[in-house]
Amino acid sequence: MPDTGGGRSYAWWHETVIAVLLVIVLQFAGWLVPGFLKLQSQLLLSRQLWEFAILALGMTLIIITGGIDLSVGSTMGLSAVVFGGVHSSSGSLMAASLACLATGLCCGAVNGALVSRLRLHPLIVTLATFAAYRGIAEGWSQGHSYSRFGDAFSDLARGSWLGVPLPGAIFVLMATGFAVFLSKTPYGRFLYAIGHNERAAKFSGISVNRIRFWLYTTSGLLAGLASLIYVARFDTAQADVGKGFELDVITAVVLGGTSIYGGRGTIPGTMLGLLLIHETRLLVSRYWGSDELRSIVIGCLLIVAVLACQLVSRKRRS
Amino acid sequence: MSNSQTLTVDHDSRPVCFSTRFFRLIRQREAGLLLLISLTSVVVGIHDVRFFSVDVWRDILVRCAPTAIVACGVMLVVVTGEIDISVGSLMALLAAVMGRMLSEQEFDISCWIGIPVTLGLGTLIGVFTGSLVSMGRVPSIIVTLGLLTALRGLTTLMMGGKNIDRLPEGLTQVAKQGFLGVPISILAAAGVIGLTSVLIHHIPLGRRLYALGSSAESARMAGLSEVRLKLFAFGYTGFLTALATIVDVPRLPKIESGIGSEFELLVVTCVVVGGVAISGGQGRLIGVLLAVVLMTMIRPALTFMDIGEAGEKWTRAIQGMFILLAVVSDSLFSWRQRHSGKVHAA
Repeated sequence: MPDTGGGRSYAWWHETVIAVLLVIVLQFAGWLVPGFLKLQSQLLLSRQLWEFAILALGMTLIIITGGIDLSVGSTMGLSAVVFGGVHSSSGSLMAASLACLATGLCCGAVNGALVSRLRLHPLIVTLATFAAYRGIAEGWSQGHSYSRFGDAFSDLARGSWLGVPLPGAIFVLMATGFAVFLSKTPYGRFLYAIGHNERAAKFSGISVNRIRFWLYTTSGLLAGLASLIYVARFDTAQADVGKGFELDVITAVVLGGTSIYGGRGTIPGTMLGLLLIHETRLLVSRYWGSDELRSIVIGCLLIVAVLACQLVSRKRRS
Repeated sequence: MSNSQTLTVDHDSRPVCFSTRFFRLIRQREAGLLLLISLTSVVVGIHDVRFFSVDVWRDILVRCAPTAIVACGVMLVVVTGEIDISVGSLMALLAAVMGRMLSEQEFDISCWIGIPVTLGLGTLIGVFTGSLVSMGRVPSIIVTLGLLTALRGLTTLMMGGKNIDRLPEGLTQVAKQGFLGVPISILAAAGVIGLTSVLIHHIPLGRRLYALGSSAESARMAGLSEVRLKLFAFGYTGFLTALATIVDVPRLPKIESGIGSEFELLVVTCVVVGGVAISGGQGRLIGVLLAVVLMTMIRPALTFMDIGEAGEKWTRAIQGMFILLAVVSDSLFSWRQRHSGKVHAA
């Protein structure tokens, strides 16, 4: 049952609900945990956010077209192993980083080719490559973990630029680019057209297959980049990098108002979704000190948010 | 590519009457899977003939059992056009509940109460999922994604960082040795498969699930209740997950909170590889079961290939390759069937 979007009057209302929720959570947090809202501590704690955030950009575009990419976590794992392997054999950080990004790109391109050329359902394709990429990473690395990449490299994750963490700066630049692409360029609008009605999009001359191919390839490349940042942050590269990330990223994107059936979603919405999840996590783990509670809260948040949206939009329509 | 084509295409290269060709087309997926299974067994068997012993296959079937049980339920969910990716976390939660109830160190409740309660809880959570999907109109992938996270957290909370051991002697004995020499999980799986098969082929309810999946609109016009059918499909999956937990978990030395992680993806993979259309309305039980066997036999097969530790690490890669082989060959085949102008069903 696709979300038909409805009138202009409430086009942004999902984002509004999430923003209000976010403000409530922040208020609540500031009241419970003194010093929680200070910019300094927020920036310090934001380090865990950036890999997710980068993956979420690509995922938003894919879900807008009605697809899904379950393989991003596994792609991160494979890219990390390639990074470690190349670094330990050649000793060059530059070569290793390029290999890492190239691996992500190739993984994404394989997904894209299977989805667009063979017209397989994205869920099936990425379920297969989810197993395959992780499997190749595990088989190739044999459980070995690479580390000691040097301080210069860990600056990629730990360094800062004008007071903003470097990965954060990268993310903000990319997010701006993606948001402009999505809302201002014809190709961005094509994505919504594909998500609403793929057939109609095709008949109106949009090269659906080519766009799909490039979307999955981009998602793979972003996974490579996320993997690079992750490896820099922990200074270890092993096969289980990014395990379980795919579901968290999808949670953030859907929470941010992107319709899982396609045709609806925005980059600012995704950023709100990411922030809401991030702040909730921080609050729960800071105040109650419990990681288990965290996942319960986020799981319920996802279901309740989407349920509330469905109920309200149904009432509006009738 | 050419390899995968020969896997499936050579069966109907001869010109035959339409109905025969039609049945062959339907059986394509099963034939391909059977071929993959036998090929794998032959390759491993040539390497080490002990692979064909009864014990090995008994072990493989025991490993298959929980996946097969749950896959029967998830298959029906997918047939109605929905999806359930929460079964792994549900399994963990039920294992924790059951463990805490039955363990001699915890509440030490009798099995006669504990097991029905576990089954009931599983069904209840399944029905709850179904009600969110059918009445709340939340997409099933989102509901079950949320539950996947939430139930896993609940499990860890319930276990309180400890493992549960010392389940009652009787239960572990039955689970390990089984009944008349047949492991209890295999018996349970056989029962569930029989039940599901009867449900699909001989009871109107089963046909209605397929009808709902192939066209919700027509099903509604024919007077079928979408809500009730979906409640049933999800409730049945919950019940089967509880059953799988009860027969499988007592075999393990202890219950950890990580039980069943990524089980949901394995089950969905088996359902999809078995030829059930993700858009609903079609799929055969036998294909799903063959896919379960294929996915499960890879690890035991690799241990027989005599490449030691290194081999087992490749399990997942080979799994992924088999999935790709199955779906790609299928798509190449169906591509030639319909003319290439058609947009794939989203």
